[in-house]
Amino acid sequence: MEKFVKIFKISAQKELAYRSNFIMWRIRNILQIFLIFFLWDSVFSEPQKTIFSYDRPKILTYVFSLLFVRAIVLTSQATEISGQVARGDISSLLLKPVGFFKYWLTRDVSKKIINVCFAFFEGLILYLILKPQIYIQTNPIYLLLFMISLIMAFFIFYFLVMANNSIPFWVPEAAWGVNFILISVLVEFLSGAVFPLNVLPVYFQNLLSYTPFPYLVFFPIQIYLGNFSYIYAIKGIIVSGVWLFLICLLVKILWDKGLRTYQAQGS
Amino acid sequence: MDKKSLNITIPDFFQKLDLSRLSVLLKRSTSKFAQKIKYFIFNFSFIVARFRYYFELWMKMTRNSFMVLLAQKRLFFLFLIGKLLRFILFGVFLIFLVKGSGSLAGYSVNESIFFFLTYNLIDVISQFLYREVYRFRPLVVSGDLDLIMTKPYSTLFRVLLGGVDLIDFVTILPLVVLLIYFGSMLDPTFIELVYFLILTLNGLVIATAFHIAVLSLGIITYETDHVIWIYRDLTSLGRLPVDIYKQPLRAIITYLIPVGLMMSFPVRSLLGLMPFWGVAGSLVFGSLLIILSIKFWNFSVLRYRSAGS
Amino acid sequence: MVDGKTSGVYNTNQNERTVIVKQLTKNFEVIEKEKGLTGSIRSLFSPAKKTVKALKNISFNIAKGELIGFIGPNGAGKTTALKVLSGLLYPTSGFVQVINFQPWEKKREYLKKISMVMGQKTQLWWDLPAIDTFELNQKIYEIPDTEYEKNLKELIDLLEVGSILKRQVRTLSLGQRMRLELVAALLHRPEVLFLDEPTIGLDVVAQQRMRDFIYEYNRRHKATIILTSHNMDDVVNLTRRVIVIDNGEIFFDGPLRKLVTDYVKEKTITVNLSGQTDIKDFETIGQVKKVKFPEVVLVVPRETAAVASAEILQSFPVSDLTVEEEKLESIIQRVFRRSE
Repeated sequence: MEKFVKIFKISAQKELAYRSNFIMWRIRNILQIFLIFFLWDSVFSEPQKTIFSYDRPKILTYVFSLLFVRAIVLTSQATEISGQVARGDISSLLLKPVGFFKYWLTRDVSKKIINVCFAFFEGLILYLILKPQIYIQTNPIYLLLFMISLIMAFFIFYFLVMANNSIPFWVPEAAWGVNFILISVLVEFLSGAVFPLNVLPVYFQNLLSYTPFPYLVFFPIQIYLGNFSYIYAIKGIIVSGVWLFLICLLVKILWDKGLRTYQAQGS
Repeated sequence: MDKKSLNITIPDFFQKLDLSRLSVLLKRSTSKFAQKIKYFIFNFSFIVARFRYYFELWMKMTRNSFMVLLAQKRLFFLFLIGKLLRFILFGVFLIFLVKGSGSLAGYSVNESIFFFLTYNLIDVISQFLYREVYRFRPLVVSGDLDLIMTKPYSTLFRVLLGGVDLIDFVTILPLVVLLIYFGSMLDPTFIELVYFLILTLNGLVIATAFHIAVLSLGIITYETDHVIWIYRDLTSLGRLPVDIYKQPLRAIITYLIPVGLMMSFPVRSLLGLMPFWGVAGSLVFGSLLIILSIKFWNFSVLRYRSAGS
Repeated sequence: MVDGKTSGVYNTNQNERTVIVKQLTKNFEVIEKEKGLTGSIRSLFSPAKKTVKALKNISFNIAKGELIGFIGPNGAGKTTALKVLSGLLYPTSGFVQVINFQPWEKKREYLKKISMVMGQKTQLWWDLPAIDTFELNQKIYEIPDTEYEKNLKELIDLLEVGSILKRQVRTLSLGQRMRLELVAALLHRPEVLFLDEPTIGLDVVAQQRMRDFIYEYNRRHKATIILTSHNMDDVVNLTRRVIVIDNGEIFFDGPLRKLVTDYVKEKTITVNLSGQTDIKDFETIGQVKKVKFPEVVLVVPRETAAVASAEILQSFPVSDLTVEEEKLESIIQRVFRRSE
């Protein structure tokens, strides 16, 4: 625990040390929501309209909850590891791999906490400016399922990033490129962080539910909005659990092999 | 009596406002402008020679960038795939969204797609030309900029245009084909087409002004990475017609930021929704921005601190 | 004396003077970072500003063809001075003129006549062979083909870089790279060359090579060379005149020899005796510092060192005698200590 607090403090300091960087990060965070908010605001300009199984309050709630779900799930510091792997900058890892994963998990959590705290204030300000109608979920079972799905999403994303981070073991110059494809493109669009996936035709949605991506953002928010039955929600959580297991396994295999190639080449 | 007091108060009033100085300034700047015109006429051949000089330099540096890229073919394909994927995914979502809801702020599917394509064209061309801006921070922090600034060519030219991005270059042609395909379905008149081309060019000029401003800020604050990304985020508000935004935000992002001017106005002119004065006004605005940005650059260079001194 | 600020026309009969600096001052504003988490949050909202006076009212002239060294401890202002002269930094106040230009205006005609090489900074394209940078520089400086070929050949021969021209720069050693940096900087035959820590990070052999070249280039082309360094070997082996800068002020300006005569009043004589003698007799010649038979170390006034050693050789059984001067490094260290 003491260790955690220490790492958290250091991460927070690092984050705040470059104030322009920090302010810019926050501004970008808000801007990302703007386009999506007004897009849906415009589509649902008639108050009684219902499309893609949303009414106006629900879709605007979707957009607002993106601010928080993104902060909790899609915030990551561990993405910088790919660069370290590419540069061969991971000698500490060779000594104690378990500590390494825990350390970066802590760094991620630290960044997420900072992000959520600030997202709260920014959400409040945006709420006061935009005054959207917000859907409040009161059913405790849905809230509980929402929490569980968020935790699953959190770990799925962490291990996805970690699996991705191992690629530079074999293709060092790809460090930047793989992060770009996975995180900035695939996760962004296929998780529902830009558009709710209901926009797509049903067969596309079914296809996507066999990938890990929807379980990161779209699925938790749907549970919160009460758009799924209990059974469907629980089924989804089980599927995401299977994904989590598979990705963990993948991470273990990739890192074991990767470290071996790294050591073979390095010495 | 009245006349007399009027005679006294008006100069007083002018003096208080210090308009006399303003008029001197105005005179000086107009004479400066006249000088520039004279300079331009008398040194026409010199200006052509300079233009050729910079064009040759640009070709040389572009050749160098191309050779650097050849050494990293795998990276090239990774980024190309990523960019295409992002473009396609956003396009697919947009098509289904507008189809599902009937229209987007009154625009049809084809029209919405055309807005998206125009945004991409301006975005991709400016990224192709101005990629070096993204590499400016390491240049400033390491101090290598010192060795660029002590060379007898424009530093701005080097840090703005010195490293074109051929990944973006590859995507320009397909984009133009798509634009022609979707544009022809909108049946523009000849004059609408001309307006569209002029305003797209104007959009590129504004994008240039933005990039110059980012560089200027970078010289003073050592910070470009986030600013350029904020610029990207802001302009990405123009992926869709600015009509979707509510007032007063719409006015802000049309004229103040001015994403609407850059990305939406060209399409609106193609759809016959722009009066002549709107086109002319946009051009004035674009020229003003580019002049201001260059002034800002000159201001910043004098305040350059040079890393490590 | 010509006042450049009011007349706006600079005296051309002074063209023997390549550099004129009068009462130059340069200040920087820096933001201070506070320590700790609360400190970083506080400086997020109200940054503390501080003015650093990098150069305080300094004046000097440099003649055409001189090879001059700015020396001083780190952060003394020598690099700042070099950057003001090259036009990189805009002076806070004062008058600066280099080959009849005000450097900060960055006139094309001016920049074509100067060049700058900085240790640890690079103008070479990292992912390409150096020859590509050279060809780019030919275009930038508009060097005619014949002249370019001639200069390139001369520089390649002098610096012995023919074999590494076509290798990717990132694969070269620092020493190889610095030699190529010099080629890139000298292709256009600058009248004034600024060198900022040119030997930093190089091994002894590479350093010597660098120095030999700089010396030879200065001799051949009569280029004015201004270098900063905190490597004493550079200064001792290269420059005839030094400007010692400390804390933003010029502490000494003159020939290196004069720095020694000004600040070194004594020489050290070490005598090895071949037989017994009365040590006390040495006291009449100089101040005895150490006696450890057969070695005697004594200090004598600088001017009388020659006389003293002759006397020692005559009056004592001597097997060996050396006269030493204080090392330049320790002199400079002493100079800095005194200025505090």
